[in-house]
Amino acid sequence: MKTRWAWIAVVFLAITIPALAQVDFVGEWAPRFHEDQPERIPGPALGDYLGLPINDALRLRADSWDADLISMPERQCNPHPATYSFRGPANLRVSKEADPVTQDIVSYTIYGTFGRATRVIWMDGRPHPSASAAHTWAGFSTGKWEGGILTVETSHLKAGYLRRNGVIHSDLATMTEHFIRHADHLTIVTLVVDPVYLTEPFIRTTDFVMDLGQHESATPCDVAIEALRPNGAVPHHLPGANPFLTGFATGANLPQGAARGGAQTMYPEYRLHMNTAIPAPPVFATESLVGNAGENAPVEILPVRGNIYMLVAGGGNITLSLGPEGVLLVDTAVAALADNILAEIRKVTAKPIRYVLNTSADQDHTGGNAFFAKIGRPIGAGGAGSALFADIAETDPRAEIYAHLNVLDRMSDLPASAWPTITYFNDRKELFFNDEAVQILHLPSAHSDGDSIVFFRRSDVVSTGDIFDTVTYPIIDLAKGGSIQGEIDGLNRILDITIPAAQQEGGTMVIPGHGRLCDEADVVEYRDMVTILRDRILDMKSRGMTLDQVKVARPTRDYDGRYGATTGPWTTDAFVEAVYRSVPASK
Amino acid sequence: MRKSKDSPGRFFRIELLCAVLALTGSISVRGQSLHTNQFQPTAGRTAAPIDVTGYWVALITEDWRYRMLTPLKGDYYGVPLNLAAKKLADAWDPAKDEARGEQCKSYGAPAIMRVPGRIHISWANDDTLRVEMDNGQQTRLFHFGGWTPPVGSRSTWQGESIARWTWPGQTLRADTRGSLGLRAFTAGAIGAGEFGAGIPAAPPAPPTTGSLTVLTTHLRAGYLRKNGVPYSANAVVTEYYDLAKPPKGDQWLTVTTIVDDPEFLEAPFITSTHFRKQPDGGMWTPEACSSR
Repeated sequence: MKTRWAWIAVVFLAITIPALAQVDFVGEWAPRFHEDQPERIPGPALGDYLGLPINDALRLRADSWDADLISMPERQCNPHPATYSFRGPANLRVSKEADPVTQDIVSYTIYGTFGRATRVIWMDGRPHPSASAAHTWAGFSTGKWEGGILTVETSHLKAGYLRRNGVIHSDLATMTEHFIRHADHLTIVTLVVDPVYLTEPFIRTTDFVMDLGQHESATPCDVAIEALRPNGAVPHHLPGANPFLTGFATGANLPQGAARGGAQTMYPEYRLHMNTAIPAPPVFATESLVGNAGENAPVEILPVRGNIYMLVAGGGNITLSLGPEGVLLVDTAVAALADNILAEIRKVTAKPIRYVLNTSADQDHTGGNAFFAKIGRPIGAGGAGSALFADIAETDPRAEIYAHLNVLDRMSDLPASAWPTITYFNDRKELFFNDEAVQILHLPSAHSDGDSIVFFRRSDVVSTGDIFDTVTYPIIDLAKGGSIQGEIDGLNRILDITIPAAQQEGGTMVIPGHGRLCDEADVVEYRDMVTILRDRILDMKSRGMTLDQVKVARPTRDYDGRYGATTGPWTTDAFVEAVYRSVPASK
Repeated sequence: MRKSKDSPGRFFRIELLCAVLALTGSISVRGQSLHTNQFQPTAGRTAAPIDVTGYWVALITEDWRYRMLTPLKGDYYGVPLNLAAKKLADAWDPAKDEARGEQCKSYGAPAIMRVPGRIHISWANDDTLRVEMDNGQQTRLFHFGGWTPPVGSRSTWQGESIARWTWPGQTLRADTRGSLGLRAFTAGAIGAGEFGAGIPAAPPAPPTTGSLTVLTTHLRAGYLRKNGVPYSANAVVTEYYDLAKPPKGDQWLTVTTIVDDPEFLEAPFITSTHFRKQPDGGMWTPEACSSR
């Protein structure tokens, strides 16, 4: 009898020992706002940078931020980025996808958060995309279990909030997260690294409680005109002119210096000397802190949508239309890369090159013209090409090169084989190729006087040439007819064409002259930056400052860590000078 | 023929009943109370799946204005206080605390991990982990190995703490309602859920990853925040200590703190605090408790 009961006890205990089940966090999670409640629910005060390891550049950028910005139609539907979404109103629904055959977990999906930037965490070991791939609010995340902790690495983030009062990380930020579950509590550790704006990793931990009764509904966003403002205006404060920055510290009985943030404010000892701390002289990066990797980037092709591909080549992008009729190239990069580019094209199609479209006369966009025209073949003499050259087409068949007339003028000192063969001089040229309407739209006096953007209407992709560039400040070639106002008008014209999908993301895709694949939100970020810098330089000039004085004042200093350069073909000084010389003497 | 009391059939039914009862308990995601301290106590140092010892610095990136400053009276945003607690908080008077010699009221176990400072974790002996704080000069002792608070223990700022190691998939939660009162742990298996229930697995031997769970009771009434936001002597604190090693090689310690207080809180008060590993105690700066 004794033995029997002992055996029963063994069975009982064996079964009740907690099973080492797969750790999981699938389910419905409700946030707890027991930390930072005033910041997370009502919203942070302007000028509250407490505990943020920000550099001087981000401090200035946040100081310039005007809350009216979020009423702009282009920004109304921005969701919170993954770097911030757990800190805002964020009820989470976590689900998982299993491989139907092996039942291995392929991914976790996190739905919820403000604006619904749905996260997908890939668990199947796939690599992160190319550096030239598009960025999203949620970023691209891969995860792996480390014991009972899910560690997630996220890249490809859009520029977005660290705190929703203008403290913004760059699009080069990355994030590491740890999801830690204990019973019905979930703690998410978030570490953000940003080479442009943070001096140390920024860590936060956020708590959730399982709530099986909650329901996550869709939150569609409809853009409305919330404020009337002049066309092209971007709300912001000029440096030193924001009247709202001191109210927070005064109201919270804080030293003004503490509210300015910085890594030192994260450490306990700051408390002991915050009242006597003397701010260090500001330090601003003079050039991009991430370098211009694009110039040495390997040649690669990224599918964009429909017929359209982006070919990254030596920092200059080529847009490809591939289809039954052949290949259309928007721009041809530098001549030295032509063989490599052709080899890359031949990986995806054997069709002949039919057309080359040039967005400007610059060598990094036209250098391969002669090569690609020569290896190409027109669609029949006098067909889609010009009947005037039908005899040439029969004896020396070449792909046609389209450009604005001013491009041809600017290339007159180059061999004729590189010249555009078909030009236009009004505001547009149209093609129908690969079952798609193609609009070539002239944007006057922007980067130069011969700029075109190319809109593939069916694929819904815009190729912008150098009017939009995610690597540097816009190159405004005054000698070739460029101007800052034309540049801003050009960016706004691109925004007139683009229509984002849900969550102000995707939809019309944008291939810049240099840099990664983008969408409207990225162009908005760039347009806002260019407009703000224009306004600052205009203000300085109208106050009588000379060009040298403006350069010394460094009106671009909050963006130089992202777009600046002190050497190379387009320096920050050259940009400032171009803007200075092309804005009027007074507002 | 009537079976005897001890027939094999009856034996099987009892066994089955036991199994069903056991399964019913083990499938709970929340780890429902079985009203027994069934989770086997683990040894301390020898069973440690993670090494939490060393010097750690708190990085104050959250609740800055509540942690680095003494907030204004009546500022208890985010704390799920009931009316009685709010009344007390509104009557906060640091001078009275000083007069009573209670300058350490905001340095008790429910609040101490939020105090800006450095902590030093070390083994006092094989079954006792010692946690010292420079700010407030407090010391906590986490007891492993089946230790229970001595009968008649008096309430203190840091209370009495029972500690257990847990490994992936396992969880412990303070049982604030069970018959064993505030001293009980309840064991459960995360994610055992509807599908995995009832398939027992052997404990790992020895585990190389896991967490530290600490349950603290016998507390002297104090403040959750320095401006008199109260917790009562009936409060119980559950803490989870987890390690992670993200970029740049930094080692991070995350402490999730759950304060249950039936007297002053309408819901558990949950915070999580992060610490970065320090190479040594070079920045250790002892400070006395302060009411202001």
